[in-house]
Amino acid sequence: MIEVEHLTKRYPGRTAVDDVSFSVGAGEVVGFLGPNGAGKSTTMKILTSYLPATSGRVTVAGHDVFADSIKARRAIGYMPENVPLYDDFRVKEYLTFRAKLKGLGGRDCRRRVGEVMDLCGLADVRKKMIGTLSKGYRQRVGLADALVHRPQLLILDEPTNGLDPNQIRQVRELIRRLGENHTILLSTHILTEVEATCGRVIIIDHGRIKASDTPEALQQRLRSAGAIEFEAQAGAEEVAAAVRALPQVRRVLCDDLEDGWRRFTVRVDPGADPRAEIAALIGTLGWPLREFVRRQASLEDVFVELTQNQ
Amino acid sequence: MRVFLILLGKELRQFFLSPLAYVVILLFMLINGVSFYASISALTRSTSAHNIVTWMFRTPWFYLSYFAVFPLITMRLLAEERKLGTLETMMTAPVRASQLVLSKYAAAVIFYIVLWLPSLANLYLFQYVTAGAADLPRGPLIGSYGIVLLMGLLYLAMGLFASSLSRNQIVAAILALTLILLHYLVGFVAVHLSSARMLDLSEILNYIASVEHLSLFTSGLVDTRPVVYYISLAAFFLFLTHQVIEFRRWKT
Repeated sequence: MIEVEHLTKRYPGRTAVDDVSFSVGAGEVVGFLGPNGAGKSTTMKILTSYLPATSGRVTVAGHDVFADSIKARRAIGYMPENVPLYDDFRVKEYLTFRAKLKGLGGRDCRRRVGEVMDLCGLADVRKKMIGTLSKGYRQRVGLADALVHRPQLLILDEPTNGLDPNQIRQVRELIRRLGENHTILLSTHILTEVEATCGRVIIIDHGRIKASDTPEALQQRLRSAGAIEFEAQAGAEEVAAAVRALPQVRRVLCDDLEDGWRRFTVRVDPGADPRAEIAALIGTLGWPLREFVRRQASLEDVFVELTQNQ
Repeated sequence: MRVFLILLGKELRQFFLSPLAYVVILLFMLINGVSFYASISALTRSTSAHNIVTWMFRTPWFYLSYFAVFPLITMRLLAEERKLGTLETMMTAPVRASQLVLSKYAAAVIFYIVLWLPSLANLYLFQYVTAGAADLPRGPLIGSYGIVLLMGLLYLAMGLFASSLSRNQIVAAILALTLILLHYLVGFVAVHLSSARMLDLSEILNYIASVEHLSLFTSGLVDTRPVVYYISLAAFFLFLTHQVIEFRRWKT
């Protein structure tokens, strides 16, 4: 659906996107993840042919976005960041205008506008002025606009930006439902969002792709992947020395707790699980123990690891 | 064509559903009325070589309102789309920049024509009230409204161009007014030069400037050279506007 080959976008004095290649297959829901200013929006603007690439090739649904831009645009439903809308239009009127602009006509246009308004929960505000709508409703109008011409591909730039937790849940639910029969590329800097909605994550930072995989695979791939944590009463040095002697253990951290207990965090090799050995060790040395857990690396750990190791 | 008409509909809707439009129309009608009244009273005070239509376009009232109108019509057109970010939703839909620019221009021209209709009604009303005693000369009537339309075509294109350059409507308005006044005031340079006996240069400037065209056309003399001149210069400014909108798409 999307093919990006060696895409580079340079602004005067700054490279926003640096030799990026990726592809998105039909039916995939892909999350574009990165800190603010990482080049997510720029890439999306190039995909939707709003900005030209400095070099590289981008095709959407088989159409080159620069040479064959109008055809490519027909295949895309795009919701830009902050959802620009005309404040002096009523919701239904705006969606009808956009639907016509994107080539729908007559009865089909009326039916489709009704459909997307129902789908996005806009039926009860259809006569309201867009300027009077809350942020959540505006977001839904933007989404309805992106959907209205039945595009094969949805490109959503920060679809839940600035919404309250309830609205975020609703929009995510909507995206998940849309993902069943659309290809979706969405950008976000919120990690839980990707975990909740996407089948694949592309992590981008400073204009470069750092990783591209399923959220689960990324977590497993994290270098000092899991950590084993336990709270015990024992000398910090003593425990560190004993535990570090075990195979597969990389690092042992120690935090003093207020009540005389210590919390130890044991970083281990990827894929390793020396819980049994550590438990046996604690047993033989007789340290009082009150908690013993294995913490899975979250996507957040992956993200921090990948975007801060510069 | 389909896309153009949809966009034109949207532009006209935005014009005629905004309070600004009616404020502008009201203001223009008011000043036009005063201008009309001034030309009648000028004619009642003394006999004049000119007729009522010609007089209407010679009062200071006319100049006072005329040039202010263009920035008010055009400042919003592209600056607002840029500011709201809707230029992005527009240009990522299957819309060509030329369709966008032309639809905005066409809407501005239609609004401009609507703006002038009441003043035409003034004249016909006058003829009706005086039971045909006041004669409306055909030549000056066609010439006056013709040149007003031609100058409008150019100044609206200049205004649209100014609006494409900034995201701030005030900046767009001031820029438009500057362009329009520069073009208009060249005519007074010509007048000055002809009094200083630099006739060649004065003649060249007269070809460019509106002052001479205005006085010729309002006295009923329709010349085809200015017709071509205004339309081609308007087309040039529309081309520039199109380039500004497409600028971001140029390969860097």
